[in-house]
Amino acid sequence: MVKRGPSGWLAWIVQRASALYMLAFLVAGLLWFLVDPPGSHPAWRARMAGAGTGIATAAFFAALLAHAWVGLRDVVLDYVRPRSLCGPVLAGLGLGLVAVAAWVLRILVTVRT
Amino acid sequence: MRLSIFRFDPDRDERPYMQDFEIELAPTDRMLLDVILRIRTLDDSLAVRKSCREGVCGSDAMNINGRNGLACVTPVAGLAEPVVLRPLPGFPVIRDLVVDMTRFFAQYDSIKPYLQNDEPPTGKERLQSPRDRARLDGLYECILCACCTSQCPSYWWNPEKFVGPAGLLQACRFIVDSRDRATAQRLDDLDDAYRLFRCRTIMNCTEVCPKGLAPSRAIEAIRSAMTRRPR
Amino acid sequence: MPGNTVSSSRDRRPVFLNLAQIALPVGALASIAHRVAGVLLAIGIPLGVYALDLSLQGPQGFARMAAALEGLPSRAAVVVMAWALAHHLLAGVRHLLMDIDVGSRLPEARRSAWMVNAAGLAVALLAAVTAW
Ligand code: SF4
Ligand code: SF4
Ligand code: FES
Repeated sequence: MVKRGPSGWLAWIVQRASALYMLAFLVAGLLWFLVDPPGSHPAWRARMAGAGTGIATAAFFAALLAHAWVGLRDVVLDYVRPRSLCGPVLAGLGLGLVAVAAWVLRILVTVRT
Repeated sequence: MRLSIFRFDPDRDERPYMQDFEIELAPTDRMLLDVILRIRTLDDSLAVRKSCREGVCGSDAMNINGRNGLACVTPVAGLAEPVVLRPLPGFPVIRDLVVDMTRFFAQYDSIKPYLQNDEPPTGKERLQSPRDRARLDGLYECILCACCTSQCPSYWWNPEKFVGPAGLLQACRFIVDSRDRATAQRLDDLDDAYRLFRCRTIMNCTEVCPKGLAPSRAIEAIRSAMTRRPR
Repeated sequence: MPGNTVSSSRDRRPVFLNLAQIALPVGALASIAHRVAGVLLAIGIPLGVYALDLSLQGPQGFARMAAALEGLPSRAAVVVMAWALAHHLLAGVRHLLMDIDVGSRLPEARRSAWMVNAAGLAVALLAAVTAW
């Protein structure tokens, strides 16, 4: 049975899975920062240009934006009234998140050139 | 004992107000309901629902000093004064402490609170192993008093769309019942953004349940049943 | 409106929902703070991406970002964000554990809610001390 409207379990599992990935990424990133802090711009840039960090960072932002989407969606569904405003507000938020995604992608691509 | 009670009579009052009462406690006043009933002998216009006066019927749920509970099983000793009594939060007030439960029962009804099984019964009744029966413990005892649902912020914001903790506890009761054959349909029915997933595991429900039940854990069990099921 | 003055009692059903008068258990406090922190972090996303962009653009950008973090308002913002991240992350871990039925009984859940609330504030305090 296919239900229309915003998803329930799918959104929930996306929220949980993205949280787990971000948790791992943040802990690993923080440790790396503490053990070997990039004190200068070239060092920082070199670190971010690595293929592994690039992919891991891209995945982090994908998780972050998906997580933010589910969370903000919940806030809107709970508080935005009248309900007819939910759709437009969600559309605006979605566009904003897509724009941020494009921005991140550009940053990660240009750092490697 | 000093009390401050929410009053509203739709035929007389423009808006609700709080009325103060002061009453000498009698030795027989063990529970809050005893005190309320004696106040009613002084002022019989005070509307309150009660029946069993022993925590079984679920009719005298109210907000007592900010927390929902049953007046009949709330000991007088230990209540901070003045005892502030208000109707269940988020429920339309019919009069004084009596609220309209229509929406609450509609949500309960929506989870199909009955066994669904089209297979012909083998004997006189559908048997369960003691272990399967034990899975219903902590679920079947609910008296539908609405203390939990009325204390749930998620229900406050979406009372028409979110089933609420009481209804979800019952949904879980039938989902885990070994004799029920509608598990998949029950899970499908709850899988949207509102019916189950408005719950944010705040646990206000479990905080206030006068029967010591844990709707938040039942909700957790439903989510994990959804996660574990083959898709 | 004439002819419309008689309202049935059904239209006149007030709802009691004064949040200041309803008890807020510690778990509810952790939960609303989780949400507030989440919204703050979401607002922080574009700011963080901007900082990342600037810091990677060139040495001047990197220096500008480092300098921008010096001002008083941005230090305050860093403290708020540190609280938001710590609280949101810890409250999130608490929920993840409860999903697998760890600490989802009321006494443990109350205790972990206290711990999360306190730890979030402790991190904020730590951030404040480091930032000044
Ligand atoms: S779960 Fe508890 S609080 Fe909720 S309706 Fe049932 S008995 Fe009342
Ligand atoms: S745990 Fe869920 S159902 Fe219970 S009070 Fe919180 S949001 Fe409501
Ligand atoms: S009067 Fe029946 S539960 Fe209190």
